[in-house]
Amino acid sequence: MRRNNSLYLCILLPVIALLVVFPYFCDSPFYLRIATEIIMWIGLAITWDLLAGYTGYLNFGHAMFFGIGAYATGILMKHAGWPFLLTLPVGGLLAALTALIIGVPTLRLKGAYFAIGTWSLALAVQQVALVLNITGGPDGMRLPIFLNPRYFYFWMLGIVSGTFILYWILLEKSPFGLKVKAIREDQDSAMALGLNPTRIKTQAFVLSTGPVGLLGSIYAYWITFIDPLSTLGDILTDQAVVMAVFGGLGTLIGPAIGAVIIFAFKTAFWAYLSDYQVLYLIILGAAISLTVVFLPNGLWGTLIGYTNGGSVLKKSNRSGIQGLG
Amino acid sequence: MELLPQVIVDGILIGGVYITIAIGFSLAFGVMHIIDFAVGEWIMLGAFFGYYLNRWTHLDPFLLLPLAFVLFFGIGFVLQPAIQKVLSGRRGNPLLMALVFTFGLMLIIRGAGLTVFGFYSRSIPSWFSADSFVVENGSLFLTIPAVRLAGLAFALIITFFLQYLLKKTDFGTGIRALAQQREAAGLMGVNARLTNCYVYGIYLGISAMTGILIGCVFSMTAMEGGRYSLLAFFVVVLAGMGYLPGVPWAAFFLGLVQSFFIVYLSASYVLLAVFVLLYVVLLVSPKGLFGKGW
Amino acid sequence: MSEPILKVEAIVKNFGGLCAVNSVSFEIKPGEIVGLIGPNGAGKTTLFNVISGYHTPTEGKVFFKGKEVTGFRPYQLAELGIGRTFQVVKPFRGLTVLENVIIASFARHPKRRPAEEHAWKMLKFTGLDSQAAKSASSLTLAGLKRLELSKALALEPTLLLLDEVVAGLNPSEADKTIELILKIREKGISILIVEHIMRVIMNISDRVVVLNFGKQIALGRPTEVAGDPVVIQAYLGEEAA
Repeated sequence: MRRNNSLYLCILLPVIALLVVFPYFCDSPFYLRIATEIIMWIGLAITWDLLAGYTGYLNFGHAMFFGIGAYATGILMKHAGWPFLLTLPVGGLLAALTALIIGVPTLRLKGAYFAIGTWSLALAVQQVALVLNITGGPDGMRLPIFLNPRYFYFWMLGIVSGTFILYWILLEKSPFGLKVKAIREDQDSAMALGLNPTRIKTQAFVLSTGPVGLLGSIYAYWITFIDPLSTLGDILTDQAVVMAVFGGLGTLIGPAIGAVIIFAFKTAFWAYLSDYQVLYLIILGAAISLTVVFLPNGLWGTLIGYTNGGSVLKKSNRSGIQGLG
Repeated sequence: MELLPQVIVDGILIGGVYITIAIGFSLAFGVMHIIDFAVGEWIMLGAFFGYYLNRWTHLDPFLLLPLAFVLFFGIGFVLQPAIQKVLSGRRGNPLLMALVFTFGLMLIIRGAGLTVFGFYSRSIPSWFSADSFVVENGSLFLTIPAVRLAGLAFALIITFFLQYLLKKTDFGTGIRALAQQREAAGLMGVNARLTNCYVYGIYLGISAMTGILIGCVFSMTAMEGGRYSLLAFFVVVLAGMGYLPGVPWAAFFLGLVQSFFIVYLSASYVLLAVFVLLYVVLLVSPKGLFGKGW
Repeated sequence: MSEPILKVEAIVKNFGGLCAVNSVSFEIKPGEIVGLIGPNGAGKTTLFNVISGYHTPTEGKVFFKGKEVTGFRPYQLAELGIGRTFQVVKPFRGLTVLENVIIASFARHPKRRPAEEHAWKMLKFTGLDSQAAKSASSLTLAGLKRLELSKALALEPTLLLLDEVVAGLNPSEADKTIELILKIREKGISILIVEHIMRVIMNISDRVVVLNFGKQIALGRPTEVAGDPVVIQAYLGEEAA
């Protein structure tokens, strides 16, 4: 609220411009792939942050929505012959619809229970993908091949930038942002002022997951191979969580920065260490644990001297009404 | 139908293992109110500790149990202040921050485990491993592996011991007071910091012993921690968070469900059933079957 | 002029074995200020919570402007025109004073700019406009209570429930608040006010409801109630009666 909006635009516009022209300067498919993946992770991190940082709900089933989008595209393209562009909105809509359906009952749960609930639901969905035939089971499925790195780069960039801008408008400009903060700060007080917490939380949930479905759809066609491990696995959620927390919850730029840094580590390990996976896990864990203990506002959050009452994950009000006298 | 008695027996025996997985976790939760995402990883560490110690000393793993307890109790005791720091943070929702912290711990331990132990599956040979009790009575034919029976006995011993500790000792009363009313307990002279350290230490100690048990009865890989975390969550949610008496019931229930599913339905559906059941229980009755959870 | 703005009919609220409110009935006429008093533990805040939707009554009904609203959620009641303050103030500490009131203004002014204008009007009315840009956490208790009031007023309510808005203030702050309450009544807003400070209640209320141990023991004009031996006994014990 009190930030200098024009300063942000000064930094962001050139960055976006750079990102847009990047493929024309760099023709190497390898670097284009890396760039596409970084952008995808930025998307995964900021969407996770929308729910976690702004409403205080930790969705440990974030991958579920990615997988729904991926398999929607996979199944429609492979078994029904749909063109990719038609499957894209389906992926996003299915993810959003899932969030809408499970949101109302699940958001009623207290913080820790919501975490476990979403975690187990995501694992259930992964199991479904593992046993069904139409998803190809544990062997996954292959999509029609389309080799065009620039195409996917721009789609990824478009969706993620669009999401970023949408979030920015909703959180900074529109009443929604203030309402979300109110619910997070003091739910009882917010209710007395006419705010329906369940409705707002569900809206945040849907906004957090819809874009993830879109990202999953793009991923499926881009990589041309999907399986339950890569699209519905814990490792997807885990990385998004670390990136968001490390970067700074409750801000839009924080998770983006977190995504870039963590991904840089990952790529460096992959390039120089043969057994990078296990070391990467340790780094992920250390990044998040140390951040929580020493830098609770994350890298970016601490950098901008986040003075918003100090907290981003405020205690959700557990029926603070006592009947005394 | 002839399989039914065996299925039931198997379910109960597995239930025993599930008790040990969950009971320390429930205790720690009841006092500190944090969900430890790393519970499965501690179990995994305990299993590998037992494996290597068994190879080195050639002592039966059941004899190594107390050693594991002592070592991991120490680790927990020392680690707890870090968690305390997060829990008492002025910023953020402390409980959720602590959850995130344990999540990070989980990643660290799993990564370290994979690095040191590799992807191998290990099991620990025990004096009990070879024997089975066979019960024959007409058409009834039951096989009861000795090691699983020992596991069940161990689970029951631990449960009774914890109940005794909590109900009949001053220390236990302090723990229960702390679990119910932190500030008032402090005013009564219960040293919250120290007690938290003890409780966390006990919890890690029990988890490590559970790991050794699992290493004997089944096997362990460095990647399996997640599965045991899931089982711990399930049992504790069903029993009611922090409600220890509910744990055996929930554990046996889970054991029986799993046993039935494996025999009468496909194994791949077992996991699906557990995940869905966990989700449904959380929605319908987050305070557990007995409604006494937190 | 006949229909009461609020009608509370035989409200009972039990918490497990404890009966916090035991059959309370009264009405508030439009434009009235009704005081709700009683010793500690009498059930005043519980009754408040039932009327404002935070608890559902075990028995009994609540009517607002003739329409039954028993069991309605707080945000539905806010929409209908019931505003409340909380005994333990509940500001949005991470936000500014202005932002706090803007959020309340969204109820009647869904868009940002009109809401902001409306918020300024509210802050001017309650005298907090000079502190609009400050963080809510930096206010004194008097300021925080004033903020509670501003937020409730921003809903443009027809009925205002005030829970101890004067308690904890020094005499001059208290007097200013009383002035404010009377100004609010002049705007045509009916008020139900809980207060421990007798002189406040007795001076501004048109009628008073007295609770003791959840039961309604008196209902009438302040002078009647003050002289009622049952009331005196409740507050001061057997001997004084």
